[in-house]
Amino acid sequence: MTTAPVQPALTQPIPAGAVSRALAWLPAALEWLGAFFARHWQNVLTALVQIWANKARAILTTLGIIIGVTSTITVVSFVQGFGNYVTDMLRGFGTNMMFVFPWDASDEHHLMLGRVVMNVGDVRACGTRSDKVRRISPLVFNVANIEYGREKLQAVELQGATEQFQPIRKYFVEKGRFFGPMEVEHGAYVCVIGRDIMGLLGADDQIVDDYIYINSLRFKVLGILEEKGEMMGENQDQLVVIPYTTAIKMSPMSQYFLPFIIEATSEADIEECSLEVTRILRERHGLQPGQPNDFRILRQDEFLRDFEKVKIAATASLAGIVGISLIVGGIGVMNIMLVSVTERTREIGLRKSVGARRRDILFQFLTEAVVLASVGGAIGVALGYGICNIASMHPSMVRVDVPIWAVMLGLSFSAGVGILFGIIPAFKAAILHPIDALRYE
Amino acid sequence: MRRTRKRQASRREQRRTATFLQRRTFWHDGQSAMQDTREKLIEFRDLQKIYRVGTELVHALRGVSLTIHQNEYVAIMGPSGSGKSTLMNILGCLDIPTSGSYLLNGTEVSHLSQSALARIRGRQIGFVFQNFELLPRTTALKNVQLPLMYAMLPRRRQRALAALERVGLADRAKHRPNQLSGGQKQRVAIARALAQEPDIILADEPTGNLDSATGNEIMSIFDELYASGQTIIIVTHEPDIAQRCHRIVTLRDGMIASDILSERGRAEAAPEGRPEFAPAVGAGA
Repeated sequence: MTTAPVQPALTQPIPAGAVSRALAWLPAALEWLGAFFARHWQNVLTALVQIWANKARAILTTLGIIIGVTSTITVVSFVQGFGNYVTDMLRGFGTNMMFVFPWDASDEHHLMLGRVVMNVGDVRACGTRSDKVRRISPLVFNVANIEYGREKLQAVELQGATEQFQPIRKYFVEKGRFFGPMEVEHGAYVCVIGRDIMGLLGADDQIVDDYIYINSLRFKVLGILEEKGEMMGENQDQLVVIPYTTAIKMSPMSQYFLPFIIEATSEADIEECSLEVTRILRERHGLQPGQPNDFRILRQDEFLRDFEKVKIAATASLAGIVGISLIVGGIGVMNIMLVSVTERTREIGLRKSVGARRRDILFQFLTEAVVLASVGGAIGVALGYGICNIASMHPSMVRVDVPIWAVMLGLSFSAGVGILFGIIPAFKAAILHPIDALRYE
Repeated sequence: MRRTRKRQASRREQRRTATFLQRRTFWHDGQSAMQDTREKLIEFRDLQKIYRVGTELVHALRGVSLTIHQNEYVAIMGPSGSGKSTLMNILGCLDIPTSGSYLLNGTEVSHLSQSALARIRGRQIGFVFQNFELLPRTTALKNVQLPLMYAMLPRRRQRALAALERVGLADRAKHRPNQLSGGQKQRVAIARALAQEPDIILADEPTGNLDSATGNEIMSIFDELYASGQTIIIVTHEPDIAQRCHRIVTLRDGMIASDILSERGRAEAAPEGRPEFAPAVGAGA
């Protein structure tokens, strides 16, 4: 054991006045700091006075920047708004959902007619052998003609599913009821229709328990689905859902190419769930190791991630394109700053004769350019904000929110343009010789 | 960094030595320094300024030696092309001489950098121009605060107000130049020159743009400043104005043609009640 070294005691008392002497520089430093900030603040004020004195000129000068920032903000916000809309919609489907469908990696399954690629057995196996699957339902896609009274509808989207359709798709019946497991088991001729189909058939809620003809077959309408709205220009409410057994009866070939949807037990389990489904399907399809899958699994979260990538790319490229107009605006700022320097040559001479150094003049004109560009940027932000808000008012328009980072980007970009294009005129002003500047006519 | 500091220190040392040597030379050449106990503010030693206009060399100053003491009231006269403006520019540290030395308050300033010159202009020299050179759209107070801002001096507002008070314009502090008369503008300009309490006030034709009555007013302000101990140098071509100063330096062809005391200067320099003993020439001539 070693003892800790004993700290020598502070025997010397602090001499009187030492602290005040040690901090003697403080008031002077504070004064200096005050003067420093006052001078830069004075530059900003001078710039604002100059802008106010030449209002029309300033507006015309910054028009390029105003337009640039306005369009940047608008475009970015629109892309973000649409993106968020789609993302929200995808989220609404549930992020723990996956879609499994037969798909040949060589893309040649159309050459192998009659080959069993995926059937009800696969669906049942996945549902029973994996404990990560909470709900599962085959999904048969078809197109059908509908008749109701004298109304006829051509090429309506027809989906065959089980009673699990509702909770998996988060798409619920509003009026009446959904078909149950017995109806699926029997392949009953019952259906659930979308809101718009009801409208197109010229019917109201009374259509429930009435009969419609789908491809000339008589179906009982059990319920009406809630309204989901449009997504990417596609109306989601023009849809008829029937038991998948019935759908297979109507188009028997589809039983060999049966896609299905799975809801995993939780979002965290989706990875494992998709691995299990892959294992089960490969086993059932007798695929050897090294052989590619003859199916594909689309996961909602993957889709979301891909979409986010697309959104970022679209935002960046569009913002980049409209950002070019900021450069044009910057040239306008440089032009007017050059004019301003020439106009105020005598003032520069005076400032130099009362003690302004080169860097003081440089900072003054640089500040002026930055303030000018920033004012333009601020107007642009306000305009862009206004445009987005007005556009959002339109009923068929998605909600457009201006992201705060776009505002920051717009402002900092315009300030940056001010620095970039203000440096040459400011430098020109700074290197003026005081005598020449004072004698300038 | 350290090397730069060392270099600067050695330069400073050289400069100090040079200053010392020049002082010794000055002491021994039989000039008036021994007679005059006032502090030397400005010392020009053999100042030359050569401009290059195209391929031609123009000798604006051909060896000017001049000493101006604390609290002198000097007029610099001369026809156009005599080097009057060049001398003033060098005096005001707006320009540096081609050769010769310029000691301002005992410091050699003829080789200083631009920013050092700017510092000197801001703290030791107050300019008054013929056409006032006030910032438009800026109040008198702000105009007066301008040099204080560049000199980073504290209590700028109080100092500026005090300066305006001295020229009798405290009530016009909030007025803009376009709301002021010519005389008032020039008084604001004088206040601006006074604000940082400079060693020298350098006025370039201060009455050139004013009628004679207003010009007299301005000159009486200079008189008051002189009476309170300020050193004033006025560049002018009007003999009336020059006569109100105490010493008249006349330039011709880039050289000092004469350096005399004015009537007023002689009267003031004479012993009490004995005007016949008034000196004929300026103390520093």
